[in-house]
Amino acid sequence: MINGEGRVTVRVLGVECSYGSTKVLDGVTLSVNEGEVLGILGPNGAGKTTLLRCISGVLKPRVGSILVEGLEVGSVKPKLLAKTLAVVPQEFEVSFNFTAFDVVLMGRNPHLSRLQSEGAKDYEAARKAMELTGTLHLANRPINQLSGGEKRKVVIAKALAQEPKVLLLDEPTSHLDVSAQLEVMDLIKSLCRKGLTVIATFHDMNLAARYCNVLALMHHKKIVAAGRPEEVLTAENVKEVFGVEALVKKHPATGCLYVVPISTVKEVARLNRSVHLICGGGSGARMMRMLLEAGFNVRAGVLNVLDEDYEVAQALGVRVVSEAPFSPITDSSYEECLKLVKSSSAVVVTCFPVGSGNLKNLEVALEALRSGVPTVLIEPLKPEARDFTGGRAAEILKELKALKALSASNEEEALNLLNSILKPA
Amino acid sequence: MSSEALFRRKRWKSIVFALLLILIASIVVSLNLGFAQLPFTTVVKALAKKLPFLGGWLSVPGVEETIITEIRLPRVLAGVVVGMALSLAGSIFQGIFRNPMADPYVIGTSAGAAFGASLAIVLGLGAGLLGVASISLMAFLGATLTVSLVYSISRVGARTPVTMLLLSGIAVSTFLSALVMVLGVLAGEKLHALYFWLLGGFSYVEWVDVLVAAPLILAASIVSYFYSRDLNVMQLGEEQALQLGVEVERSKLVLTALGSLATSAAVAISGLIGFVGLIIPHLVRLLVGPDHRVLIPASMLTGGSLLALCDGLARTIGRITFLGAPTELPVGVVTAIMGAPFFLYLLRRRRGEYGL
Repeated sequence: MINGEGRVTVRVLGVECSYGSTKVLDGVTLSVNEGEVLGILGPNGAGKTTLLRCISGVLKPRVGSILVEGLEVGSVKPKLLAKTLAVVPQEFEVSFNFTAFDVVLMGRNPHLSRLQSEGAKDYEAARKAMELTGTLHLANRPINQLSGGEKRKVVIAKALAQEPKVLLLDEPTSHLDVSAQLEVMDLIKSLCRKGLTVIATFHDMNLAARYCNVLALMHHKKIVAAGRPEEVLTAENVKEVFGVEALVKKHPATGCLYVVPISTVKEVARLNRSVHLICGGGSGARMMRMLLEAGFNVRAGVLNVLDEDYEVAQALGVRVVSEAPFSPITDSSYEECLKLVKSSSAVVVTCFPVGSGNLKNLEVALEALRSGVPTVLIEPLKPEARDFTGGRAAEILKELKALKALSASNEEEALNLLNSILKPA
Repeated sequence: MSSEALFRRKRWKSIVFALLLILIASIVVSLNLGFAQLPFTTVVKALAKKLPFLGGWLSVPGVEETIITEIRLPRVLAGVVVGMALSLAGSIFQGIFRNPMADPYVIGTSAGAAFGASLAIVLGLGAGLLGVASISLMAFLGATLTVSLVYSISRVGARTPVTMLLLSGIAVSTFLSALVMVLGVLAGEKLHALYFWLLGGFSYVEWVDVLVAAPLILAASIVSYFYSRDLNVMQLGEEQALQLGVEVERSKLVLTALGSLATSAAVAISGLIGFVGLIIPHLVRLLVGPDHRVLIPASMLTGGSLLALCDGLARTIGRITFLGAPTELPVGVVTAIMGAPFFLYLLRRRRGEYGL
């Protein structure tokens, strides 16, 4: 699209399009190189399908132009365009009882004149397309009796029988089970290696990130970001376009970007009751979400940067007292955290493993309790089970209990306790 | 796979050839049915006499020859031609509308023809043109004008959505049917003639009707054959069809015109005969599959045979029931009484193929 050095096969220039008086595309510009897979992402109604319909010539743009392999879509004859560009729609309903082979053979229509009927070359092209998509064994089955995945692959075979240079797919993986999704996407990827250019819309950001070389993010009838997946799929973009907080990371196994939506961004009227969460190692993530959903003002710390709970806190916009990665808690962070804790209405201590590096977190809790901040301990385990300090941590936990810290066996109980001690004024 | 597909093509050819033989047999059988009972050999001889070279060798009594070639033959051929036209139109309209419930009358041909014919009957229009009765001419005119009107009403910008076509067709038909009723009220003693026309039949058919209608219907069927691959691709939806290179709007217009032309010609000869155009494409689809390149010719041959035989049956039943009185059952009654139960049987037996 921008970075590739390949030849441009599809170019969309300043396209505006309307259904009646409703604008559905507002100045869309993009270009795709030969052999690339462009994934179009965006919420419902962003204009993804409309863009595909424009490129395929079904909708006529009011302003702008679209070139596919040098053919001006809209002024070129449908037959000529259909030899270059094939479309796999999202919904594919065939009336009457055509077999899968009949449908694939229809892909040869653009190559036949009105008075011509299919010849050996066309049968061969259809057979090859079915072989390539692994659907040859379905050839004589009625298309309407196939499963969703089989049908999708037959429709792709039909598109390949057209021998196109560009393939448009609208939600190629929708309504398919996981294995069928991967099969379809692997197929598309292998076709691109042979020089086919693919433009496809997706709802699944992870699938798109994994299989597309380039992504375009659509929002409000416009393209708001385009480029390599890591440029497009940022937490900020996802938040802006989809309205959800998300964690964006590289998956260690696939090496691809993956996006985990965390919660929708909604402005809950925050109570002026604040809860400080002392956690670590992922033990606090769930409590953090629950407290936020319940409307508490949440803080956390001390947490090491790169700690799982730290990442979650960042993603959720929780204020954190942080420490450098993998470092023991320093005195200055300890002091900063203690100040924050003393200003909180309550403290929750989750069941994190305690070592010498984070022992100071328990000391923060002890200090807070001594100065009168109510404290809830979540302890599904015996204190000794998470003590890696040779007994010091267990001692502090016992002391906390002796000072009437409340005890809960899970997050729900802890939330109930907090609600009962922090009754709104 | 390719050899299998070619095999399928061969099967198409043999099916169409078999249906052609059945059609010829139906014509001969139908010629043998009727008020005057003639031996089968006489029928065959009278027909063979018409053939070049062979004719001089055969002798058939003059009266019997007249009954067969001047009275029965035009009537039987009219049945064949009308059956073919309605089946052609039924296949086309079911294809265009992607709906197995569509029939040749769906966008207003029947109501238009009925209105034209009623007008001619009530106004007592006299001689027609080129020997074709004015009632037939008016029916043809009414049908074609109505379809043109429906088509132009349904236009939205550069497109003619089939749903619009279907709904406008229903609305215009309802309107014209009401006008036909008004004419019926005004008809007075001509009401009987009007009613009989509406029932449909071949009682008053002459050679000229067949000779004028047949070329029209033949031409429509030949042209529609060239559009039948378009019709196949349109079964994937109009959007996909366009993306496969079919100029959908043009094909839709041409096919609608062809179907309406065939229906109008048929209706002008025979009045309104129901059910043939609906049921024949269904039946034939079960036999040859949904490909319009074989569905259309096979439906036409089957429809021709069926209507010729039904008309023969109508004449025979009339003779039996009314003991010598030359009254007969309208053929539309025969097609409906026999066709409807058969259709229901098919629907129950093969409902899987309708996605039910």
